[in-house]
This record gives sequence, structure tokens and C-alpha cells, in this order.
Amino acid sequence: MILHRRVTPGKVVFISMVMTGILAGAILFSLWLGTADIPFSALCRTLLGESTGGTTELIVLKVRLPRVLLAGLVGFALSLGGAVFQALLRNPLAEPFILGVSSGAALGAIIGIMLGFSFQFGIPAFSFAGALVTILLVLLLGTRRMGMESSTILLTGVIINAFFTAVIMFFVSTSTDSRLHTMLFWLYGDLSQSHFGQSALIAPVVILAAVVLYGFGRDLNLMTLGDEAACHMGVDVERTKIHCFLLVSLMTGLVVSLSGLIGFVGLIVPHLARMAFGPDHRLLIPVSAIGGAVLLIVCDTFARWVVSPSELPVGVVTAFLGAPFFMILLRTRGSQWNRS
Amino acid sequence: MLSSRSLFIGLFILVAFMARPASAGAFRDALGRTVTLDGPPRRIVSLAPSITEILYFLGLGERVAGVTQYSTYPPAALGKPKVGSYVNLNIERIISLAPDLVIATVDGNSRSVIETLEAAGIQVFTTNPRNLFEALDTIALLGQVCGATRDGAAAAEALKVRAEDVAEKVRGLPRPKVFVQINLRPIMTVNRDTFLNDLITLAGGSNPFSEEPFAYPRISLEEVIRQRPDVILVSSMDRGGRFEEARREWLRLEDIPAARNGRVHLIDSDLVDRPSPRIVDGLEEAARFIHPEIPWERP
Repeated sequence: MILHRRVTPGKVVFISMVMTGILAGAILFSLWLGTADIPFSALCRTLLGESTGGTTELIVLKVRLPRVLLAGLVGFALSLGGAVFQALLRNPLAEPFILGVSSGAALGAIIGIMLGFSFQFGIPAFSFAGALVTILLVLLLGTRRMGMESSTILLTGVIINAFFTAVIMFFVSTSTDSRLHTMLFWLYGDLSQSHFGQSALIAPVVILAAVVLYGFGRDLNLMTLGDEAACHMGVDVERTKIHCFLLVSLMTGLVVSLSGLIGFVGLIVPHLARMAFGPDHRLLIPVSAIGGAVLLIVCDTFARWVVSPSELPVGVVTAFLGAPFFMILLRTRGSQWNRS
Repeated sequence: MLSSRSLFIGLFILVAFMARPASAGAFRDALGRTVTLDGPPRRIVSLAPSITEILYFLGLGERVAGVTQYSTYPPAALGKPKVGSYVNLNIERIISLAPDLVIATVDGNSRSVIETLEAAGIQVFTTNPRNLFEALDTIALLGQVCGATRDGAAAAEALKVRAEDVAEKVRGLPRPKVFVQINLRPIMTVNRDTFLNDLITLAGGSNPFSEEPFAYPRISLEEVIRQRPDVILVSSMDRGGRFEEARREWLRLEDIPAARNGRVHLIDSDLVDRPSPRIVDGLEEAARFIHPEIPWERP
């Protein structure tokens, strides 16, 4: 597994640098493109701190920049979570939402919306509380004395997801028209009114989680061979599972409480990274995370721009652009899943 | 539009002479169907909040047998049996209330519901006001159809005088650009096919999104900033914290005239998007926000 393509620290650093370069390009592209026509030169002058005054400065610095930052962080976190969960559960369908965190967060958000709480604090707080409840339920119901068994925890997550989805549909179908739009847009992912404060809140959590999860890279590599094999090679399998599960779930819960449910990024980006660079998690984790940021920034740019002056929910764009692209790669390269 | 209005008025005068308050007779509804009544209906089911308001306004509250879920005005209507929301009606419930007349809207209620009720032998009268003045005509018309003791035509005429008075006062004044926000998140507004658009125009403002293809389009924050509205009216029932939060967010964007001049206002959505008698209150309120320079009489 590790032999067929050697991963050296130099290679990790080099590929991460290239990905970061692509990310910088995506950020510039996203700041430039939008409903209002802003010349590239005016964009550069605004970003360099020159006061261009008027609408350009307002749109670039107060509308587009916070949104691009949030999209990047959310994409980063979801893809990172997807890569780790795919290894942890040894399942190619795994993504950060598969254990029910998303439905708990959604239920919390919808209750917050119904009760008329504020968008800035109340609804995210309810949403995060919903995510925490789900994580706790999955832990209590899905783990046994012997520890976390992948298929048991997976099924627990899926069932909790189904149950919460039913509760969500109950609330959606009995709510007033005026609340309905807000709920539906939350469920499809909405980055349209982002603030710097949101990015400032999640950035430290996401970066810390990324560093810790990167440290588990070697253990995750060994665990793809099976729990027993990993155990023989000196991995504390149970500890790794619990830590990774909690870290990814808390990070995902926090992120979606601010962004709404944005599907697909957490599923396809880790697969794309695996197709491109092989299955070693020491490379897979940074490439997935930065790639997720790039993908979500690009998709959100399209969401803002395609039906301008209106907007699409970003979740629609991630699936619409992501699925065909993914299909083409799957046809030409195979999933690379069984090569590990 | 004008000819149909004068036709309506002609019809009212004719019927007024013949058969007030008893309403026996044949009435043409908004779908062009003829609804024949043997006498004034005793048990009326309203299929929209606006119709409930009109029935109470006409003094027919006693005869209302059922209303829709969000019929919140007047408060007396809250105690009436509910027949579902106007887009999701419970037909069984309507039939079990044994109404002798059901009043529906072409816009909100589905045709299949109307057809099912008729198949069950229930008379359905449809209304379809497209603008503020047609909404007021509907009041007069329903007064006739239901044999109201209050003179619907005269009441509608008095409301029209108030509306025309507003339009007269703003005539010739510059028209500020008014951004109407009907949903806080996502940001949604209205196009020309809505009562709100009609209200803004009559109140002497202009709606920058009147030519959008959909009645209630979602609009990006960036586009609102680009349009630089002079006034922002938030039509909402969320009068507490949420509106204050939205208002603060708009005021933060100092580059747009509405924010610079603090002209971000809340307007009660029930007054401006229901074609009910209170829509004239909504018009007067909108006019006060759009043209504060006019010495309006305080209500």
C-alpha cells in the first residue's frame, strides 16, 4: 500500500504548496466574479488596501470576502472529515454526514427558525446543540463494551439520520409559508449572508482539527488493512476511532451550523484526491482538505453568478458540477478504493 | 381592467336596486362561472386569510363556518374551525362543515379542490383580484354575493377614496427606489405581479426588481447594493429581534443611500400582501415611509 507510491515529507509539502497556489487562484477568481462587474484592476487595488471608495470596496470587502472565506473553511472541513471517515469506517460511501451529524444539526436549526431565533447566534447555537445530541446518541447506541465496530456505528448513524429526517419533514410540512423558504435554503446550504465573525469562530477549530487528524495519518493507513492487522502493528485502534469520530463530528457540527447542509463535497473530494495521489493518508488528508476548499469556493462562485441577480443554493451546484466530473474520473481511472 | 371594473360597478348598482340585502340570484365569478344562490348563504367557508378579513369587514363573521389556518385577523376568526392552509386544504373537513357557499381565490387555491367541492354539490365562488383597486372591488362583490347587511359597495368606495388620495399626494414627486424585502434569509423581493409592487407604485416609489421573471425572486445581497435603493421596506411578521438584526445589517452597508439615511423600515406583512380591506392601511403606511416629506395625517 505504502510501497507502490512512496510518500515523503518533501512530496507532501510540495503538493500542499501547489494546492495552496490553486486555492489562492480560486479565491481571486471568486472575489472577481459576481453580479456586479468589477474590473480586475479595481479588485487588486481594493485588496492591496487602496481605498477605491464606493460600491466596489463595499462589495469586495464586506460581501464577497467573508463569503469566500467561509466557503473555503466549510469545504476544507467537510472534505477533511470525509477523508477521515472513509478510512475510519472503511467504506467508500462514507462522508462527514453519514453518522447523522447533519440531520441533528438540521433539526436544531429548523427548531431555531420556527421559534424565531436570530440568524447570527440563535439558529447556529440550536444547530450545534442538535449536532451534539446526535453525536452523543451515536456514541451511546452505536458502541458496545468491546468498542466501536464500523458496521454497528454506521447502521446506528443511518437510522438516527432517518429518524431525524422524518422529524424535519414533519416540521417542514406543518410550517408557515414565510418560514418555509428559510428552512429549505438552510437544508440546501446557504452562504449568502456570511460574516467575518463566522470564519473567525470556526477557523481555529478547523485548523486545530486538521493538525490533529493529520497526526493520525499513519494510524489510518494501517487501519485500512483491518482493525486486527492495525492492532498487531501497534495502533491503538479504539482510541484512534473514538478520537477521530469525535473530532470530525464536532468540527462538522460546528461548520454546518453556520453554513447549512452542503452535500457532496465531503464525499467526492477525498475520492478525487485518492484517484490523483493514491491512498496514503499523510498526503490524502492535506490534499482533500485544500481541494475541498477550492471546490466549494468555485461552486459558490457559480451559485452566486449563474442565475444572477438571483442565486442558487450552493448544495445544488456542488452536486451539479461535481457528479459529472466525478463520473468521468471514475470511468477513466477507477475508484482506487481497493488498491489500498 | 378598467372596463371590468366599471362592469362590476354597474352590476353592483343593478343588483343593489333589485335584491339587497337578500342575495338570491346568479353571480359571475372570476373564472367566468355562474354561481346561483337561492338566498343569502348562512354557512360560508373562506379559503384564504384575505377572504376571511373581507367577510368580517362586511359584518358576516357570524355566518363564517370555516377558515384557513393562517386566518389571523380579526382575532375572532381564530376561534373558527380550520380547513387547512390555503395551499393545502382538507376537503373532507370542508365538506363536513356543510357550507352553502365556499369562497376561493384563483391565485392561491388549486383548481382541483374547487372541482372536487363542486362534484360534492357545494357552491364555490372564486375571486381573483390582480391589484389594489380590484381587491377593493372584491369587497363590494362579496357583499353582494353574501347579502351583507353592511353596504359593501359604499365601504369599498370609501377605501378607494383613501387610496386615490395617497396616489394624488405623491403625483409628480420624484420616485425613490424602494427595495422591498419579503424574506430575511434568503433575501427575497417582489416583481410587478404582486400587490406589494402595486402598493409601492401607488405610494410614489419605484421597484428596481419589477421586471424579474418570477413573482417572488431571490436576490443576491450584491445586487441590492448595486441597485443602491433609497428606501428599504422589510415586509415581515418577525417584528422583534430578527427585524432589528436585519436592519442593523443593512445599516452597516453605509454606501447605499437607504442605509446612509437610516431609511430601513418594517412594514406589517399582513397589511401589504393580503388583498383585504386593510391593504389601504398598508398603502398609507408605505407612502409615509417613501415620502416622509409630505405632511401626512397621522392615523
